[in-house]
Amino acid sequence: MRKLLVLFLLAVIAFSLYKPLSTIEFGADRMGSIENPTTVGAYYLSKTPSELSVANVITAIVVNYRGFDTLGEVSVLFLAATGLGSILYRRRKEGEHSISISKPSSQLLQAGSKLIYPAILVLGAYVFIHGHLTPGGGFQGGAIIATGILLMMMSYKDFHLNHTVLTWIESLAGITFATIGIAGLIVGKTFLENFMPIGTLNDLFSGGIIPIIYIAVGFKVAAELAGVLDTLLSIKEK
Amino acid sequence: MVVSPVHFIAVPLLAAFLMPILAKVNKNLLRIVPGIVLTYLGYVSVVLMNRVATEGTIIEVLAGWSAPWGINLVYTPFTGFLATLMIAMSFLIWLYSFKFKKVDDEPALKYFILQLMLTTGSVGLVLTGDIFNFFVFMEIIALSSYALTAFYRDRNGAEAAFKYLLIGAFASTLFLLAIVLLYSQVGTLNMAEISVRMHDVPTSMKVSILVLFLVGIGIEAEMFPLNGWAPDAYSQAPSPVGVAFAALVVKAGVYGLVRITYTLFGIEGSGIGPFLIIMGGITLVMAEITALKQTSLKRMLAYSSIGQMGFVLIAFGIGTHEAVFGAIFLMFNHAIIKGLLFMSGSYLVYNTPNKEIKYLSGYGMKMPVISLFFSLGALAIVGLPPFAGFWSKLYILLAAADGALYGLIALILVVSIIEIVYYFRVVGRLYFGKPAEGSIMRKPTVGGMIAMSILAIAILVVGFYPDIITGYIDAAASSILNTDEYIKNALGAVNELTPVENIIQ
Amino acid sequence: MENIDFNQILSIAIYGSAVGLILIGLYAVLMKKHLTKIIIGLSIIDAGIHLLFIAIGYISNGTSPIFSEKGISLVSEGTKMVDPVPQALVLTAIVIGFGVTAVALSLVIRLYRHHQTARIDQIKTLKW
Repeated sequence: MRKLLVLFLLAVIAFSLYKPLSTIEFGADRMGSIENPTTVGAYYLSKTPSELSVANVITAIVVNYRGFDTLGEVSVLFLAATGLGSILYRRRKEGEHSISISKPSSQLLQAGSKLIYPAILVLGAYVFIHGHLTPGGGFQGGAIIATGILLMMMSYKDFHLNHTVLTWIESLAGITFATIGIAGLIVGKTFLENFMPIGTLNDLFSGGIIPIIYIAVGFKVAAELAGVLDTLLSIKEK
Repeated sequence: MVVSPVHFIAVPLLAAFLMPILAKVNKNLLRIVPGIVLTYLGYVSVVLMNRVATEGTIIEVLAGWSAPWGINLVYTPFTGFLATLMIAMSFLIWLYSFKFKKVDDEPALKYFILQLMLTTGSVGLVLTGDIFNFFVFMEIIALSSYALTAFYRDRNGAEAAFKYLLIGAFASTLFLLAIVLLYSQVGTLNMAEISVRMHDVPTSMKVSILVLFLVGIGIEAEMFPLNGWAPDAYSQAPSPVGVAFAALVVKAGVYGLVRITYTLFGIEGSGIGPFLIIMGGITLVMAEITALKQTSLKRMLAYSSIGQMGFVLIAFGIGTHEAVFGAIFLMFNHAIIKGLLFMSGSYLVYNTPNKEIKYLSGYGMKMPVISLFFSLGALAIVGLPPFAGFWSKLYILLAAADGALYGLIALILVVSIIEIVYYFRVVGRLYFGKPAEGSIMRKPTVGGMIAMSILAIAILVVGFYPDIITGYIDAAASSILNTDEYIKNALGAVNELTPVENIIQ
Repeated sequence: MENIDFNQILSIAIYGSAVGLILIGLYAVLMKKHLTKIIIGLSIIDAGIHLLFIAIGYISNGTSPIFSEKGISLVSEGTKMVDPVPQALVLTAIVIGFGVTAVALSLVIRLYRHHQTARIDQIKTLKW
């Protein structure tokens, strides 16, 4: 009975989604002309190479045009890590210690993950350092680094992260982001506005404050994701 | 550095990122830092409120890209009024919870960070002029609320938080879907420009988008039938968090509802007004009848809070200047009165089993000051003269009379009687009930007493001299009703690249 | 002629799978009893909406919005780039979705510790 009701509801929702979607033509150019932009997408495409000197337009949007969103996004991650700590906090009693719940892994996995762990870290760093030139950026790079750490947690039971170090990385990266924003106000421009030389397009040192912010975001995301994984994976038992 | 609206977001975020490090230096800094931040923001509010009164709407461009290309903050008399109210309430909540947890407890750190983020999210949501940025701040509010609801380990906080999370996450998904459809139609995210381009959107699409938006934001605004989370969350969360829900989260939700219906879609001739009146009416009646049946004090207060929001929705649905004036006045009154009720009520039921009302007999003698505060709040919220709640109710009734909505007036009066019954049941028990033996009283903290006294004085002052606040509320009501003014300010003033005329074409 | 057909097929496939993901997620949220499965359902709905958003920004034969070679000029070369805004917004939405999922999972762990079960029908206080 419940199942039928749910299926009926789903059918209604599918129909009500189909109606508006059928009017949105797939692949149609809704952006309009780049020379005389009326949509934000066209405007960003026309301005980014000349005014920001950033090759990856998405990075320019995420860090500059809509950098305020990203500050909020970083706070959401920070909140998730803080909230997780608050929700799962238990006072440690005598004789309790942290153990990982994962089963001991095979020799093969242990040897293999040790081999590729540094490579994953380097790849992650590469992705967030080159966020303004190639696909990727702080969030993606940070996530790659966190997967490397997850791999190590799965392979080695006694692999543990130093939470003090994580807290410092998290806080310093967050402070860097907010301070760069406020620095824009101090030098007489607007919050999060670029105040550094933009360099030439496609150089590593180009884009003004954008790569700096994205590197800070990369560190922050890596530290926060790793912290979340560590909190979720380890439980305190007697 | 001149004060500007972005300080409301940048400063508390910087402080929140700093707090984990500060905690390693000195644990006492944790409690002090939010107070310093909120005091500074209070100063910013005062400066900006004066500036907005003399110079009109303040637009803050972010990242150097003026609207509609970048994100901007729009500080109108309405958003400024709400932001100021939120900062003031956050400061009182901070005072109230100053001694809330022992400093050496690790959760104390998280508690203060989460509260600060809740304030940041609410103020940011009110100030932003960009629909996707609005969504981001909505999520900041939601995540901090989930974590704060589940803060206590010894209650059913996790269940309440999970319920809230399920409804909230689903709603925010729908909100995102609404943004997707909207973007496909208008190609922009700035709310002022969306409002301009909304005329070209086909009606069927408009309806889909509106429904998705209403469901998405109706959760935070406690609109029926999306308010199932509220009573559980209010009763299971720590009491300062209950105050924060009533004073910040719900206010942000109602603001969102109003901004979307008034500015994005336009309230006149669209059928949204009657819809809001009907939804508000159902919310009001359902909530007040359920409140009558409650045995737990906090749940009763939660349902009463939902009822008040139904009232606000009705007033916004009527949509005349007088009604909107009453609605904003009621939002203000609800924040201060419900704040006082939650603060004093949670001391009353601190040691009673299940927070039930029946154990409160004779507390009027045992906790005279707290009981007095609670009674004052009860008298004020049911709308008895000469307390603050009277004026807002009066204005809404007058607006309904102007619109010849006599059924509505009858409904409001009947509901008011229900309200009087269940509040006076508690007050009567406090003063005339037979005292029970051996119950332990919880002594209020100094900060708590100061916070409650400030609220009580505010209720009395606004009750006797409503003129000190009506000027601001009048300006706020004019600013939310005048959509053209909003569009002109948000797009025209700073934008040399595309003057408004070009966009409208 | 061939081109149009291909576009139509792509449109049905992508819109269809986006709506399909949303429906599958909804089914899981409404029908499943295990809290973890409900959270997975929510993530699937999210994925569907993200796919839909990216699809709306797509422009036929468009390239990714990255100026990969020096001096490439969008206007003179006549190349088309897809709309970059949905991609940037989806990045934000994914991170937010991650935050919500992490908090939800931690709540499930709390509930499991308290009740020794994570099934919604066995936790009395969760019924409503």
